[in-house]
Amino acid sequence: MTLAHTIRLRAARARANVVRMVRSSGAGHLGGALSCIDIVAAIYSTMRADPANPAWPERDRFVLSAGHKCMAQYAVLADAGYFPLEVLDTYGKLGSKIPGHPDMHKLPGIEANTGALGHGLAICVGMALGLRGTRAKVFTILGDGELPEGSNWEAFAAAAFHQVDNLTAFIDVNGLQISGSTEDVMDMEPIDAKLRSFGWDVRCVDGHDVEQLIEVLAGVPFTAGKPSAVIARTVKSKGLSFAEGDVNYHYWKPKDGELAQAEAETQVEIDRLERGCHARRVA
Amino acid sequence: MLGESRDPRKVFGAAVTAIANTDERVVILSADSGKSSGFTQFAADHPDRYFELGIMEQGVTGVAAGLATTGKIPVFCAIAPFTTARPFEMVRNDVGYMRQNVKIVGRNSGISYSDLGATHHSLEDFAIMRMIPGMTVIAPQDPSEIEAAARAMLQHDGPVYLRIGNDPIPEIFEPGPFAIGKARVAREGSDVTLVSTGNLTAPALEAAAMAGENGVSVEVLAMPTVWPLDAAALLTSAAKTGRVVTVEEHYVIGGLGTIVQETLSGQAVPVMKLGIPHEYATSGPYLEVLAHYGLDARGIATVVSGG
Repeated sequence: MTLAHTIRLRAARARANVVRMVRSSGAGHLGGALSCIDIVAAIYSTMRADPANPAWPERDRFVLSAGHKCMAQYAVLADAGYFPLEVLDTYGKLGSKIPGHPDMHKLPGIEANTGALGHGLAICVGMALGLRGTRAKVFTILGDGELPEGSNWEAFAAAAFHQVDNLTAFIDVNGLQISGSTEDVMDMEPIDAKLRSFGWDVRCVDGHDVEQLIEVLAGVPFTAGKPSAVIARTVKSKGLSFAEGDVNYHYWKPKDGELAQAEAETQVEIDRLERGCHARRVA
Repeated sequence: MLGESRDPRKVFGAAVTAIANTDERVVILSADSGKSSGFTQFAADHPDRYFELGIMEQGVTGVAAGLATTGKIPVFCAIAPFTTARPFEMVRNDVGYMRQNVKIVGRNSGISYSDLGATHHSLEDFAIMRMIPGMTVIAPQDPSEIEAAARAMLQHDGPVYLRIGNDPIPEIFEPGPFAIGKARVAREGSDVTLVSTGNLTAPALEAAAMAGENGVSVEVLAMPTVWPLDAAALLTSAAKTGRVVTVEEHYVIGGLGTIVQETLSGQAVPVMKLGIPHEYATSGPYLEVLAHYGLDARGIATVVSGG
């Protein structure tokens, strides 16, 4: 199986895992989880980390700055073997190890307690500085809706000033936030030009195109001595036909029939990819 | 008797530098604040462990937490309100909630930047920092105690907030090791317990001596660890004297006095709290501002003497 197919299949299973969590809790931050989930799957499928030894000191780190998208991370971590799939069925339950925003002390593979927006990037700058001289790299995903947080721009400046080139920040540009389009709420475009002017090397990709994600992940740092940013254009709630691009699914409380439809649609995609895999094996 | 006075910032910087010179886990973070915190020599000697980030206290606090996840022991020292109130959510989440071994130091704390106005006062730092579960809050009381507390802070595994002042302060204790969470009876007495911390323990001791001349026997319970409070020492002393006065360079609500009241709730012991009233404090020369609010030795003596 090619790396691209592995990642697509992982992302497909992870989408089903997200729906499984929402079935457990009755609600969840769906839209952003599904806009970034291909990126999360690509990162975990290429980073140097060992699910059996999650505290390995020289592991690569991944921090989900947009912590409300944590269902994507839980879904991929479970698929990668960091914890049993049954933990997904505790989402929203008393004392769950997978709360509505991630807690590093509850679950292996979580590196930071994000959720309040604008925190992840500075933490990653510190991690990357602390890991200088090792092979470890640091990856993060910021949401486009959290870019107005001023603390992000402190961290963007600091990373470039200190030439933190073992840090890669994906910006999940799904273009929507609770109140509407990011353009209407607080337009931060052009994001790529802003980051370049802050001293980052920037690439722009389709955040659902696994081949493009593999290429940028293989290419970091894009320039020695500079932090790397990837502007990933995505679709909110990608993979669920009834929810794609609809701001009302930022936080999803399934209505009648939606869960069953979501389960069916995610399973169809898994089946399709597995058939493709099988077909290749037969050929 | 009060001993030699020394600059708290220089004492602190030198103490941390002496440890950091041999402990490579220690890293210094600066928000354009490191060199005025006593780290000029460290920055020159260890550029790989001195991170200048400019004036971005939120960013510095997050970076500190990230560094700590990799086993470093970050020390971030700046003017007190800018290490506490300004980046509070980063302290709460990135340091506190993430349980990271970060040392946050507020210098020029309390009202010690008295002439610079209320933006530069930190009169709520005890209150807000103790609200973070797992946070230790320390206010050393003399130069030797700053040195010992700096060592204890770096040896302690967990987040610490330590505050120091600006003006030179006198030696008041025999130098010795600093035990986090322990009070010390700085003067024995039987009529009233005077609980003090930070810069005001020196005038508290003077006040106790003045009250003694008036026939009031004051026990001074020096409380360099504001949180968690040494409840046992407080309960013992309060049971002995039956009356408690607290004094601190902090708002009269939310800080040491409030913690003492909480600790003594259920005890039939009256508590009187001395501190800065809950207002934007006046500005002026430090000692004059303290006297204005009755926080000099004379003012404290008047209260503990029952007047």
